[in-house]
Amino acid sequence: MATVELPSPERVSRLERQWRSKPGILGWLTTTDHKRIGILYFWTTLLFFGAGGTEAMFMRTQLVVPNNNVLGPAEYDQVFTMHGITMIFFFIIPMSTGAFGNYLVPLMIGARDMAFPRMNALSYWVFLASGLFLYIGFASKNGPNGAWFGFTPLTTKAYDPSLGGDFYALSLIFNGLASALTSANLIVTMLKLRAPGMSFNRMPTFCYAFLAASFGLLFALPALTADCIFLFLDRNIGTHFFDVSLGGSDLLWQHLFWFFGHPEVYILIVPAFGIATAIIPAFTQRKIVAYPLVAIAEILVVFIGFGVWAHHMFVTGIPTISLVFFAAATAMVVIPSAIQVFSWCSSLITGMPRFRTPLLFIAGFIFMFVNGGLTGLMFIAIPFDQQVHDTYFVIAHFHYIIFGAAVFPIFAGMYYWFPKLTGKLYFERPGQISFWIIFAGTNLLFFPMYIVGLLGMPRQIYTYPSGMGWDWYNAAETAGAYLTAIGILVLFGNLVLSRLRGAPAETDPWKAPTLEWATSSPPADYNFAVIPTVRSAYPLWDASDGATMVLDEGHQQPISSAVDARLGEIIDMPHSSAWPPVLALCLALLFTSLVLNKYAVAGGCVVLSGLVLIAWHWKAPASGQSWQWWGMAMVIASEATLMGCFIATFWYLRLRVPHWPPHGIPEPKVVVPLVLAGVLLVTSVPMHLAARAIKAGRGSAARAFLLAALIVQSGYFAFEVYDYRNQLETFAVTRNAYSSIYYVLLGADHAHVLVGMLLTAWLLSTMRKGAATGIAWYWHFVNVLTVLVIGTLTAVNVT
Amino acid sequence: MLLAGCGSQTDILHPAGPGASDVASLWWWMLGGCSFGLAFVTALLVAAYVRRRSMGPGREPGERAGWIVILTLGVGVMVAGLVTLFVVADIFVIRGTETPAAAAAGTKLTVRAVGHLWYWEFDYPGTPAVTADELHIPARTTVLVQVRSADVIHSFWVPELNRKMDAIPGQDNAVELYADHPGVFRGECNQYCGLQHAHMGFLVFADTPAAFRQWLARQSAPARATASPGERVFMQGPCSSCHAIRGTPANAHVGPDLTHIASRTTLGGVTIPNTPAELARWITSSQSIKPGNQMPNVALGGAKLRELVAYLETLK
Repeated sequence: MATVELPSPERVSRLERQWRSKPGILGWLTTTDHKRIGILYFWTTLLFFGAGGTEAMFMRTQLVVPNNNVLGPAEYDQVFTMHGITMIFFFIIPMSTGAFGNYLVPLMIGARDMAFPRMNALSYWVFLASGLFLYIGFASKNGPNGAWFGFTPLTTKAYDPSLGGDFYALSLIFNGLASALTSANLIVTMLKLRAPGMSFNRMPTFCYAFLAASFGLLFALPALTADCIFLFLDRNIGTHFFDVSLGGSDLLWQHLFWFFGHPEVYILIVPAFGIATAIIPAFTQRKIVAYPLVAIAEILVVFIGFGVWAHHMFVTGIPTISLVFFAAATAMVVIPSAIQVFSWCSSLITGMPRFRTPLLFIAGFIFMFVNGGLTGLMFIAIPFDQQVHDTYFVIAHFHYIIFGAAVFPIFAGMYYWFPKLTGKLYFERPGQISFWIIFAGTNLLFFPMYIVGLLGMPRQIYTYPSGMGWDWYNAAETAGAYLTAIGILVLFGNLVLSRLRGAPAETDPWKAPTLEWATSSPPADYNFAVIPTVRSAYPLWDASDGATMVLDEGHQQPISSAVDARLGEIIDMPHSSAWPPVLALCLALLFTSLVLNKYAVAGGCVVLSGLVLIAWHWKAPASGQSWQWWGMAMVIASEATLMGCFIATFWYLRLRVPHWPPHGIPEPKVVVPLVLAGVLLVTSVPMHLAARAIKAGRGSAARAFLLAALIVQSGYFAFEVYDYRNQLETFAVTRNAYSSIYYVLLGADHAHVLVGMLLTAWLLSTMRKGAATGIAWYWHFVNVLTVLVIGTLTAVNVT
Repeated sequence: MLLAGCGSQTDILHPAGPGASDVASLWWWMLGGCSFGLAFVTALLVAAYVRRRSMGPGREPGERAGWIVILTLGVGVMVAGLVTLFVVADIFVIRGTETPAAAAAGTKLTVRAVGHLWYWEFDYPGTPAVTADELHIPARTTVLVQVRSADVIHSFWVPELNRKMDAIPGQDNAVELYADHPGVFRGECNQYCGLQHAHMGFLVFADTPAAFRQWLARQSAPARATASPGERVFMQGPCSSCHAIRGTPANAHVGPDLTHIASRTTLGGVTIPNTPAELARWITSSQSIKPGNQMPNVALGGAKLRELVAYLETLK
């Protein structure tokens, strides 16, 4: 057990003053405290869970008997679409990364906050705004109705003239922004803010899981964003990405969607693995068996998850050889999952398990996960998949996974960390009762779905005839749904009652090994009075030498090296700020004006958001922020993936047709754009030199370099915009799929150049030391991107 | 209710063709293996639960045993199982369910299935025969079904005969059907396609080869002009602006071809039986039977409706 000497009371009260939040509502609006943001995420996602759950109850009520009409087809279609979108994007992801990740990751790694506290606040307000945006659409009878996977052409304007498709596309882009911000923040937090000594081989497996999920989100979301951008453009501008008659493709939607959608499934459950690996050691009083294997398996699940997307497309008629490849990749993802299952089971068998509520939920989770995982394994058998695809068999499988394997651990975590969050103990007996009701309810709800699936019941039907042999199974499922709802009410009732009446909790009621249990319950605003020094993956169980770093001189946080967590510089963290909610409001206005097709207003909102960002960064941070280029690295990773999706789309559409560009459209110029891109590439040199000069404090040299770069950039940009407009007069963006991807890809690249120029200009005016490296790197990225884009667009002549 | 008793179920485990049959056997083997796996893990959990009080404190067996268990069961056994499943399913069973790139030598008949919002149109290339929602094929014959879409993505699926195949705009997909014995098999659209996805079923009648030939000859023939009052109602009323009856001036293709509507057993995507009373109800109030379908309620009543139904009933 680690013992840490507490600092003197004066130093503690100084820490309190440094980290205290503003009082009242204003405090919550402007907070940058990861714990408060985590709690905001928690309550907001619970509201959405309630909405998604209510939608599920409506569906089960409609399906309780054949030919029922509680809901008509139009209502049912919106309700099941909203159920899927809500549970995935507005409950599980924000609950795991936003609430659990935000609250627990800094505590577990011994940090005082997230790496980018204001960006963290922004992610919450953006998340809230995107959820309200979607539900305003639903309430105004413009709910999406094309299923959560939104397949085209059903969701294009021709078949869905309502605004439902627009609310779908825009809310997912909007929500994706929030998830990307959270995941980037979690990644940098875990890489750079770990307590001194917490090298990678000492990081809790919980954090490995969240690191894997965050990387997954960062690289998967751009594919969905690209898809939704294309859908919005097809619906509102008249492009033809998904219009077969003009060179588009409906399988393009599916490839991009599932390139996001399958990693997404692992992103949903990997945090749950993390929760399980945090709870099992605490309640078995033994270290998790084979820690390195578990940590690697958590990463591998997400990594392999990127190579399996087409197993959602086994019945679309893609060639057998591709099917076999994706089936093999799908088989591979089973291995890391099995490693974890056997590690959990070995730990339970060889430890001293205390089956309190959290561990009961984890045991239930293992059962549900193995159940859903084994039926998932069956989809490796392509012919079997082709039989049960889109039947209730699949519904049963992924609800065992998503409810059983993702939500059970969330419930377990709610009980497990309840004493830490509230300082109270929960009531044990009602907790165990809630588990058994939910366990019985979900199995009664989901198991018969396997059977009706084998009896051929398709998913997403608003009613079914009698005489198909489906009636009793459906009635049982509905009974299970109501039972589950009762169990969930008992669970939350118990938590509310425990909050009001529970006995006070000590710092570490479970004798758990990780750092969040080393601080008071609930934790102080500054998390740790003394920044811990870590010597083991189980710091509270193993001896550690005394830590002494208090950092009560300011709002401070130590930065560590990424791999072995050697102590680096001490940085000043930003204080509370009102700009994040203001920026989220500007973005909400932007998306609202887009859905109403008010493009001039939308342009105004973009400018407004830019001004807010300038105001946000007006005051320079007090001390060295040179590590902040990590944030830019995340932006670049995400942007590069998005542009990669655009380029992949170009090639996908190009390789489907013999003539490219289609007849009647002039072939793109080759020499001039390539030369210009080369000229732009040269500006990387002055940008690099400028960044070095700023860091060395040579202001006038830096200004000269930046000015030189900016002049060349402006010349390039002016010429390209002029040329872009000229080309639009030759062939319109609405002409066919070629013109659509041509202008979107080129336009997106120009937008990146513009952003790079604005950043350069901002750097020129502020000479901000901490930002120099990041902006230079962004510019190098823009240059490489421009060469790739121009190369792609001109390479059509190469045959 | 409607079709109970005529064997029109959609049970994957009650196969009537070689493809579906192989998949059903595969399922039972997978079920066996997976049940064993689930039972094993459940036993471990129960063992941990039962033994929880008997364990002394401070016992922590070496990591070594744990690693051996994980590497043996989690990696060794799983890899062996997965490789076996992969080889059996994706190299052998798949041969019976995939459609050969070129129509196989055994293929005796090609039909085309076109998904519409929300009905299936079947035609027989080389003949003028066109039907809706009811596909006839000869039993014990390999039939190549070319699956197409007229609008959004649908999926053609006859669970008891073979795997499903999506109907995707602009794409030429195909699936083979082979019925072991004569009978009626139920099919359904298996890809969510909007409002009436729930009512997009169809029936596959596997006839004896002789009966099939007869049926096809009858379907290929145009309707005879009758000059009956019902035919006048059809031609002058709204019917002819959407439907075709070959051999008459009506040749619109918005809704299903009605040349031999009286020979069908069901209407509206296997939603109601094709009796004169139900047909009349469909004409006047299809929107309450299948809300949102493309056919408006037709304001006809009394004598005119009776005449129209009487005429349609002649289109055998």
